[in-house]
Amino acid sequence: MIGIHFGKPPRLAAAAVAGVLALSLSATVSQPSSAAGWNLKDAAAPYKGTTINVVVLDRPSYTAEKALIPEFEKETGITVKTTTYPYESALKAETLNFVSNSNQYDGILADLIWTGTFANSKWVVPLTTFTGNPKLADPALDLNDFFPVWLDAFKWDGTLYGLPWDSYSGLLYYNKCMLQKAGFTSPPTTWDQLLTKYAPKLTNKSTGVYAYALQSLRGETQTADSFSRFLWDFGGSWYDPKTYVPQLASAGAVKGMEFRAKLAPYMPPGIVSDDHAQVVQLMAQGKVAMITEWSSFYTTLNDPATSKIRECLAVGNEPAGPAAADPAFGGFAYMVSAQSPQAKQEATYLFVQWLTSKAVAPELINKGAVVARKGADTAPAMMSKYPYLKPMVAQWGHSNPDWRPRIPQYPQMSEVVANYGSQIQQGSLGIQPGLQKINDEIKAILTQGGYLK
Amino acid sequence: MLAEQRTVQAALTVPAVNPNRRRALTPWFFLLPGIVVLLAVGIYPVIYALWASFHKVDLAMLAAGTPFNGGQNYILAFFNSLFTGAVERSLVFLAISMPLELGIGVLLALYLHGTLFPKLLGVVRVILVIPMAMTPVVVGLIGTLVFNNQFGLVNYIIGVAGVPPVDWLGNSLMAFVATLALQIWQWTPFVTLILVASLSTVPPEIEEATVLETDSWLKRLQYVQLPYLLPGITAALIFQTAWIVKLFDMVYTLTGGGPGVSTELVSIYIERNAFRAFDIGTAAAQSVILLILTIMLSNLYIRYFYREAEA
Repeated sequence: MIGIHFGKPPRLAAAAVAGVLALSLSATVSQPSSAAGWNLKDAAAPYKGTTINVVVLDRPSYTAEKALIPEFEKETGITVKTTTYPYESALKAETLNFVSNSNQYDGILADLIWTGTFANSKWVVPLTTFTGNPKLADPALDLNDFFPVWLDAFKWDGTLYGLPWDSYSGLLYYNKCMLQKAGFTSPPTTWDQLLTKYAPKLTNKSTGVYAYALQSLRGETQTADSFSRFLWDFGGSWYDPKTYVPQLASAGAVKGMEFRAKLAPYMPPGIVSDDHAQVVQLMAQGKVAMITEWSSFYTTLNDPATSKIRECLAVGNEPAGPAAADPAFGGFAYMVSAQSPQAKQEATYLFVQWLTSKAVAPELINKGAVVARKGADTAPAMMSKYPYLKPMVAQWGHSNPDWRPRIPQYPQMSEVVANYGSQIQQGSLGIQPGLQKINDEIKAILTQGGYLK
Repeated sequence: MLAEQRTVQAALTVPAVNPNRRRALTPWFFLLPGIVVLLAVGIYPVIYALWASFHKVDLAMLAAGTPFNGGQNYILAFFNSLFTGAVERSLVFLAISMPLELGIGVLLALYLHGTLFPKLLGVVRVILVIPMAMTPVVVGLIGTLVFNNQFGLVNYIIGVAGVPPVDWLGNSLMAFVATLALQIWQWTPFVTLILVASLSTVPPEIEEATVLETDSWLKRLQYVQLPYLLPGITAALIFQTAWIVKLFDMVYTLTGGGPGVSTELVSIYIERNAFRAFDIGTAAAQSVILLILTIMLSNLYIRYFYREAEA
């Protein structure tokens, strides 16, 4: 008999094990906890019949969220309505909702770069308002089960404002069949390898196949995915974290943008007008061998309805630069609108707490969502089923929550980078003069915001 | 009982209104909804924009207040190369698209006016109305498919002729050309229909007489039809100038203003400034400048085209 003998368990332990087993067998997705006498149904009883409105995006995590909402509604009697926005319109819609006091949304979706704007304007409620209320707070919430970098990302002045949800890391998606055909048994681990060894062998312009595609559409895609990706790894940064003096024309920033320009011949033409959807499709159709994209797009690339390369799909860490291995870091949290009536705020918190709970996380992952729950993301069964989890979790161990600044001035700064960054990439503006313009304009924004004198 | 009925009847009776006063009030009664809507959606936003253009209004920093900052927003607008660049781009767009729309519009209008195939006229008119009836957002989205580098219809067609694929939306010049092409395709029919209406005001006996006088259609156009066309041309110029200055939806969905800033027309730039950078104060100042520019252009058209027509 092969096995491990644990010996006879003591009675108390046996009872506990039996109890846990019974609980896990009887638990459903919509009942995340019954610890310490708290349960969702009773907690939600005062809000039965309440309707809350929640902002969602047109991305895979939200498809999973919408699929599970009926279970929450059935358990609580709270109706959850969703309003879907493309990413680029979400901040505008939510900001106009706040400044006009139109009170359309109770559940506010916040990209980590919007934390400063929302919290500084007091548009969202500090989370302690709810976590400190025993009637609302699920004892099984377990904030420590969230990856620490994600809790840091949604803090403003030390106060947590949201529960992480739809959490990404930039990953290297590669077509292992194309790499093997070109003689590579593993993906590149550095940008230099990608450029000098992999790119020339994987590019065949006559057949319209390219080594790499970098989503670079003007907007947040240009700022985050295209510009910042080559800023940190090559020694640049947005500003000095202590003095706020911009570092966007530094030698490291110049090196990063020069490197990005060197990659251009190995990318499909018109990349400067491609967004996430186009680049993911190029990969899914076998037109490019590698992309660096958010973890959320694993679902799209692994979907037989949208991808021709499922059998060849592999995922790894983002390549490292000569100065650092600082992978792209981005994602969201659900926050509660401070403009909503108290009952709606509390009903919204119950929904957010349920959606981001440990109990619901595995089901969400199975439905295509990306979550920042340690327990679910690091479970061996999950890791073997979803190959993106391992590099994502590994990178979150050293990710920088300020990979993009989270200050209220960020929207203005992002516009500046998106504008000149795409002109630099296009070649209509030189690298050094372009970076100098970015640096000067961001310096003016930081000065006006009181960060610099 | 009877007394009670009388009391109720008296209470329900509408007091008599002086007929003259009622007659005077009636037009206002019908105009009131229109006036209220105009004040709410037309006048109030203009007044707010004027107010905001003299204040520091940052939606992301409203907690810091909205102090009066004099004409600083206007100074920032005039010295901002991105804004002046976007204005120049819009003027170039206008300068290219307008003559083409007018030229093609006049030719189409002349064809429709004196068509040799009158039975086809109804069909042609319907075909002309279709582009105008389409939402600009949809036109932009169709454009992304038509001009797609790898799978687009245009590259397919030129590919059949042996021409290598063109990077329509990833190249600055080509993206501008693609945007112009969609604008001309959608709005030339509008110009055509206005001009067809103008041509229908030419007295038939004069047209018949000129046909007897000369065989040259160009001379008939120059000396007989053009004076009747000028009011229509002026109207088309004013409408189209205003339309191009505020052209947003189609360009936004087609190119988003890119690549770089190559198709960033002034309305796209102002939207970015207002609702992405949240600098409402400067965006309001830029909008006021744009409004003044549009009024100036409209006045020029009226002075040089409409007055000539009146003369």
